[in-house]
Amino acid sequence: MRYVHPVLIVVLSWYVLALALQSPIVPYPHLVFSHLAESLIAGTTFMHLFHSLYRILTGMAFALTFAIPTGMLAGRFKKLDHMVSPVLYLLYPLPKIAFLPVFMVLFGIGDLSKIILIAVIIFFPAAITIRDGIREIPTQYLELARAFHLKPAEVIREILWPAVLPRIFSSLRITVGISLSVLFISENYAARFGLGYYIMNNWVMAQYVGMYSGIVLLSLLGLGLYALIDFCERLAIPDAAR
Amino acid sequence: MVRLIDAQVSYADHIAFSGFSLEVKKHESVSIIGRSGCGKTSLLYAIAGLIPLSKGTVALAEGSESCSIMFQQDRLLPWRKVIDNVLLGMKPGHETHAMELLGEMGLGHKAHDYPKQLSGGERQRVALARSLVRKPRLLLLDEPLASLDEQNRERMQEVIASVVEDHGITLILVTHNIQEAIFMGSRILLMTDEGITFERKNPYHRLPEFRTTDEFFALERELRSRLGGTA
Repeated sequence: MRYVHPVLIVVLSWYVLALALQSPIVPYPHLVFSHLAESLIAGTTFMHLFHSLYRILTGMAFALTFAIPTGMLAGRFKKLDHMVSPVLYLLYPLPKIAFLPVFMVLFGIGDLSKIILIAVIIFFPAAITIRDGIREIPTQYLELARAFHLKPAEVIREILWPAVLPRIFSSLRITVGISLSVLFISENYAARFGLGYYIMNNWVMAQYVGMYSGIVLLSLLGLGLYALIDFCERLAIPDAAR
Repeated sequence: MVRLIDAQVSYADHIAFSGFSLEVKKHESVSIIGRSGCGKTSLLYAIAGLIPLSKGTVALAEGSESCSIMFQQDRLLPWRKVIDNVLLGMKPGHETHAMELLGEMGLGHKAHDYPKQLSGGERQRVALARSLVRKPRLLLLDEPLASLDEQNRERMQEVIASVVEDHGITLILVTHNIQEAIFMGSRILLMTDEGITFERKNPYHRLPEFRTTDEFFALERELRSRLGGTA
């Protein structure tokens, strides 16, 4: 229900623009939505949606697999942090999309290069956010762990991990938007499936209604991912446990 | 039970205490009062093994595992339910004992709540249960009731006193609250920068009815004057 108002505002603005321009480059929303419904019923866009979803979820999983231990270790051990953080700061600002050709040479032109590109983009902000989350854990909790003789594995499981979990979800929320942008660009190269390919292919063929239905689908994919992250967070961290 | 000899704890910028010696016998309840910054908390942390001594020795007759500490703040982990906080770091098999302790504290029905859902007094009782579930022989209390209001504070003092007595626990309490020190300690020590400067046996400890007697107020006045005004 909380998405009804924003959707109405976007659709209304879209109608105003379409009415004002009266151009095929901005078709009426109802034409786009009916085209989208038809293509979903016919099943022609599902493969594109599925490929994009697969790439982004796998990219996220890859990124977190490396970002969680990197961030946790750097946050916990100062000496390691002194080695890791400068590397993170050096590489984080680089536009990783520029490395797409390199990844395509190294990992092939299939899904892997696109997944790795998304993973690399998510990795840096996730690792830095997790590192900061570990640093900010109140020392009183760590003192408590020592007072009650917790073993290192118990400290990770009982204190570090639950304390940093909200940061992990935050970092995912921050990176979803940029991941979708990168996904769109990467799917324009050597791809036959994916929403990026679908949108640009429709554009090339001047099928603007189809192009917009791809854009709407990409937007819905983003919305779905945010909703999924929120749902997982609520499942992992009940309100009363925050 | 506990013996400190010529102990010193120093930090990078100051010495918390030095030349400190103390002996606490089994089943004794010792209250240590002193002004803020005289090193009371550092003393407890050193006994608990949380900070190292820079000089001297500390010996616990039954080892560091026999000792449990209750901190000034409850330090409950917000992401763990009450029962899981009590069982923090415990091997499986202590659930029944933990539930019994929560029952003793009047919190059996809140075992599956989160700390956020408890009042300040309830949180402190959970922290006490967490300290006791380890069956400590020595309980160290670092101003554990400082954040509670007068009524809750007195109720908690009585809860702690009865648990300590029932379980035969040796107690060391540091506090800046003179009334609390008198109620809780069979021996009251006054700690200053020079170490223990005054010591007094207290036959009236753990007697709630003693709180309103002339003897209680006389003892409080004496300690307050030795402390030099407000503690």
